[in-house]
Amino acid sequence: MENSVIPLLKRLSLNKYEVSQESHISINTNICKTCVEKPCIRVCPAGTYEAMPDGTVTAHYERCLECGAALVACPFGAISFKWPDKGITYRYG
Amino acid sequence: MNYDADVAIVGAGLGGISASISAVKEGLNPIVIERGEYSGAKNVSGGRMYIHALKSLIPDVEERAPLERPITRETYKVFCNKGRELSFTFKEKSKTSFSVLRAKFDRWYASAAEEIGVTISYGTYLMGLQEEEDGITLNTSLGDIRVKYVIDAGGVTAPVARLLGRNLKPEHLMLGVKEVISYVQDLPEDEGEATTVIGLTRGLKGGGFVYTNKDTTSIGVTLKVDSLQSGSIKASEVVENYRAGLGLRGDVLEYSAHLIPYYGWGNLPPLYYNRVLAVGDAAGLLISDGFVIRGMDLAIGSGVIAGIAVKKVIDGSPLSIYEEMLKRSFVLSDMRKAWKAFQALSNPNFYGEYEDALCEALSREFLVNGKQRPTLIEALLKSFYDNGLNFSEAVKEIWKIV
Ligand SMILES: Cc1cc2nc3c(=O)[nH]c(=O)nc-3n(C[C@H](O)[C@H](O)[C@H](O)COP(=O)(O)OP(=O)(O)OC[C@H]3O[C@@H](n4cnc5c(N)ncnc54)[C@H](O)[C@@H]3O)c2cc1C
Ligand code: SF4
Repeated sequence: MENSVIPLLKRLSLNKYEVSQESHISINTNICKTCVEKPCIRVCPAGTYEAMPDGTVTAHYERCLECGAALVACPFGAISFKWPDKGITYRYG
Repeated sequence: MNYDADVAIVGAGLGGISASISAVKEGLNPIVIERGEYSGAKNVSGGRMYIHALKSLIPDVEERAPLERPITRETYKVFCNKGRELSFTFKEKSKTSFSVLRAKFDRWYASAAEEIGVTISYGTYLMGLQEEEDGITLNTSLGDIRVKYVIDAGGVTAPVARLLGRNLKPEHLMLGVKEVISYVQDLPEDEGEATTVIGLTRGLKGGGFVYTNKDTTSIGVTLKVDSLQSGSIKASEVVENYRAGLGLRGDVLEYSAHLIPYYGWGNLPPLYYNRVLAVGDAAGLLISDGFVIRGMDLAIGSGVIAGIAVKKVIDGSPLSIYEEMLKRSFVLSDMRKAWKAFQALSNPNFYGEYEDALCEALSREFLVNGKQRPTLIEALLKSFYDNGLNFSEAVKEIWKIV
């Protein structure tokens, strides 16, 4: 019985994933260094994008929920996204 | 030239499966490719399905399909500032819409298609395509397929259209973030509730939903992507604040997310082009008043029509026949009827200010504080005025929606 906020990683761990060896997301981090607001971090519901101390952003591709938001999350075109080979399998959906 | 099939259908979701069933009924032999390990594996809806379109294809669907509950109660909950809340429920024992869970539902629907001879290749995704003079070659993860026509049933990310150069835009998309929780509402088995929640996603354009399933509950938020980009809160946090705000007890069983098209009738992308017919979300066919979302019946309806249209096109009709058929059906006529409400909802006052003014007025009406109690209309006028809103404008805007 949980009425308080559950951390994202715990929520993600409830899902069934088959993670590929290789990332299906790549980021042109040179663009990120000039990006102050980093909107991708707010948009992605899986917390895939994490800001690094050097101003770049790293992609935790294994968290991806395959919602499709990565195709529009970055206004500067820094994210290249393709569907993963296996990825998530929802049990409820 | 040789063809592997007359038509390939990309995506075995609601639109793709419907198109495949109707194509087979027309005597065609379509090839369907689906990215997921099974149909529904990657699909997310709220989900309340209006079943009229499905019934036209499978008349005994109520007995056969894994529907969760008929929606017999429609509730609106408005959360205002200062802890105020407004809610009302409309009850009617009807069986026109049902709650569904897509992983179960789509898998069943695909098996119903397979029973009548549809072939679906699972775990197969579209990676590229080449257009030729007399056909189109699809490059899939399991090899090439050469066909005369393609139905883009790949959902909101429109895989075929994107390969042909379409770019998705944040202003045309909402993000749905959902949780299935173990809470079971205390209702008779043949009753279910659909709740639209307004005011728990402050600062963002969007709303929330709660649907009762057989032995779980679906909750979630739908948020404009551009408002998330310019906002100050993460999508993953919005949904948790929302769950906490609802105060429903129960464990979270699944956490999911999916984009939702938000074009509206006046901004629809092309429904057909080159050798492609687009159905469902891939064609932007979704009705949203910002809070309530209807895409499943439109995906089924447009899919059924695409299956019939593609046969006519193979027999010599121009591709434009598809759009004409959609116009004559509920699909485009309902989209057109919803257009005014859609435009009214671009008014930012809808997301916060009108709710607060309404609750303020109700509070004036109900709080007896020794002063003379105003009439409701006086209270409304004063409250809108105090909040810097124009009451008659608001009535006009709300009128467009209802
Ligand atoms: C949170 C949320 C709540 C919603 N609530 C409701 C609701 O209550 N009522 C309602 O009517 N609608 C609702 N909708 C909308 C509804 O889910 C969609 O309109 C509907 O699913 C569209 O069906 P479709 O067949 O067009 O696309 P989808 O159901 O998305 O099917 C697309 C299929 O294509 C496959 N695919 C995608 N890309 C490829 C590729 N490259 N290669 C091969 N296969 C591919 C996918 O795996 C998927 O199976 C909601 C949506 C969301 C996200
Ligand atoms: S991916 Fe785009 S939005 Fe995210 S930090 Fe880089 S440039 Fe900014």
